[in-house]
Amino acid sequence: MQINQVMVSARPGDAVTTSALELRGLLRRIGRSEIFARYVHESLHHDVWELKDSDWLASESPEDDMIVFHASIGEPAVDAFLAGRPERLVVYYHNISPPELFYEYDPNLAGLLESGRRELVRLADRATMAVAVSEYNAAELTAMGYRNVRVSPLITDPQRLAGLEPPPAMQQWLGALEGPVIVFVGQLLPHKRPDFLLESFHVLTTYLQRPATLVLVGNHRLSRLSKALGDLTRELNLDRVIMTGAVTDPELAGWYGRADAFVTASEHEGFCVPPLEAMAHDVPVVARRFAALPETIGDAGVLLDPESGPVQMAEAIFRVLTDAALRAELIERGRRRVRAYDALAARTSLLRHLVEAAA
Amino acid sequence: MAEAEEVEELLEELRRTVEARRAQGFYPAGLEDDLSAHFRRIVMHRSAPDLSRLDASMERLRAVPGLSPDRIPSDSGVPGGPALHRGLARLLGRQTQGILEQVEELAAALRAVADELSWAVRQASTHVHTDLIAQIDTLQDRLSALERQPAGDAGPMALAELSRRLERLETAEEARKFRPSYSADDFESAFRGSEYDLKSRYRDLAARLLDCSPVLDIGCGRGEFMELLAEEGVTSSGIELDEELAEAGRQRGLDISPGDGLRDLATRADQSLGGLVLIQVVEHLTAPELLNLVSLAADKLRPGGRAVIETVNPQSLYVFARAFYLDPTHDRPVHPGYLTFLFRQAGFTGIEIDWRSPPPAEEVLQPVGEPGADANYERLNQLLFGPQDYALIATR
Repeated sequence: MQINQVMVSARPGDAVTTSALELRGLLRRIGRSEIFARYVHESLHHDVWELKDSDWLASESPEDDMIVFHASIGEPAVDAFLAGRPERLVVYYHNISPPELFYEYDPNLAGLLESGRRELVRLADRATMAVAVSEYNAAELTAMGYRNVRVSPLITDPQRLAGLEPPPAMQQWLGALEGPVIVFVGQLLPHKRPDFLLESFHVLTTYLQRPATLVLVGNHRLSRLSKALGDLTRELNLDRVIMTGAVTDPELAGWYGRADAFVTASEHEGFCVPPLEAMAHDVPVVARRFAALPETIGDAGVLLDPESGPVQMAEAIFRVLTDAALRAELIERGRRRVRAYDALAARTSLLRHLVEAAA
Repeated sequence: MAEAEEVEELLEELRRTVEARRAQGFYPAGLEDDLSAHFRRIVMHRSAPDLSRLDASMERLRAVPGLSPDRIPSDSGVPGGPALHRGLARLLGRQTQGILEQVEELAAALRAVADELSWAVRQASTHVHTDLIAQIDTLQDRLSALERQPAGDAGPMALAELSRRLERLETAEEARKFRPSYSADDFESAFRGSEYDLKSRYRDLAARLLDCSPVLDIGCGRGEFMELLAEEGVTSSGIELDEELAEAGRQRGLDISPGDGLRDLATRADQSLGGLVLIQVVEHLTAPELLNLVSLAADKLRPGGRAVIETVNPQSLYVFARAFYLDPTHDRPVHPGYLTFLFRQAGFTGIEIDWRSPPPAEEVLQPVGEPGADANYERLNQLLFGPQDYALIATR
């Protein structure tokens, strides 16, 4: 029996790809296991197969084999591929970003997100089991008609950056930054509300605390959004905002290491790894109570109400930066949270589900 | 801070802080809305292409001085060289000048071309290009809005909802219609008098339509007036809303179609009618229908054609006491002054009002032989016992 994984797009640093690679490591202890993707980043060509090479999947009894499909966006080619396969299917749901916010930046991408949800609904009857990385995702799957839904935390290692040293030039730069550094980690996508963060930062540095630095660490995915964020930064005179673009793991470790607070204004997350990584670096977390964020963060961060605006968030960041007792408590809770997130348990729980689906 | 409640307390404290600072004016009013609106504006903004390099090149082109033989250097390092150059220049002066003039001419023409091109590029880039992009944006937005509709399901659902609403409307409209259990025939014979009475009442009006063939009689009933017209040698056709009445008329050999008179009139060719008759009809029309009728009459009657409109006279209070509300389908009486005004506005001439059907003499107040009292009776009679009907006769 082989358990292979299928995904739309394999990119380095992407949470879906990272979890697929982790899972493959586990599965290979049982037997043969490969990853197939419709789009493969060139740096992963030695690791991930392209979907068109799927004849590699040839098996003597494919009905006994299993495909784990990582659902995170729509893609007609993958949809058609899955429809034609005889293997048992397990849907591993990372969540699909809500398309509404994407239309004005990239209608094509929005269309893919939209069709992703439709494709997922169609797969409900075909899937032996669905695995959700959070209760939030599980509820969405159930609403889409999935019957056999299991929750298993995302396979990730919040400590994975421990011990990584940023390059010397970056260390110098970090040392020269004056005042507190507030860090956001995530792709610059509309539902993560980087605009909200810039507005909060404007309020913070105009009315409450200066100087401070805001660092948005993550890929620019939508040129129109990135340009608008750049324009907003200039027009609000936010000369201490840094948008890093894609970073290496040592650089990411450098940012977490320098951060005085981790913030996210995201309105939609299926799990959200960065807050856990921030906690692993003793960085207090401020976020908004949306989607799976309350599950991931638990009581170890400041979770603002969904209706709270940039002013509220600025005040929260200000408190976290200036209230030593609060900081200490949040850092302690963060450590407990990271310990409680047991990477091994996440792995065994997922494996247990897959074995059950295979039985 | 060890319990979840303490997190709640912290949030509550933050909320209070923000509220207090807002109240103090520490944060300007509408700060968040302004910030968010500002970002929306930035997102929606599309910048025009950068033409600064083109501008700079054009500037340099304009700055190039005119051509002149004086700007050709004649100095030389060779002994006697300058003299030689000057000599050559003198010898070739005319040719050089000729070439320079031609080059100057060419340069001027090229400069003009460059100016034109620069202008055209600017037009295209500042107008066409950004407009096109904005249009593409709009189209994409609309396309995405369409795509956002769940595939397959919403279409039929929306249709079903629409047809449900349509059915409700139709039912409501149906209920609004006046559908008595008695036939129009029963009603007419109960209240309108015998056929003989009718004919003698209207013979004089039919005589007003001599030479007006063809006449259209809207609301012709069983066609009594059409028969009067035929007796005068005038051809006519009729339209009657009530199918039973129309059928009764047809059985008498008259050209009567069932249907809505206004709708039928609208389909007639312009200036195709010699006469238009509406007897006891306009009081059934709504105000917009009446406007429509007059303007259609103006279109469909040929010059010299005649409209005859007979209706109840609202200037006589007797009418309301006795006749008008006897017919529940009467919408509103039409004042002769208003009807005259409408026809005059529509371009009709020679409009006359024929007062008809005075109340029976025995009902009218009688003089008592006292001049003062009789003058009052006379005034009361005018108000209470004016003619029950009037006919407006208008020529196109």
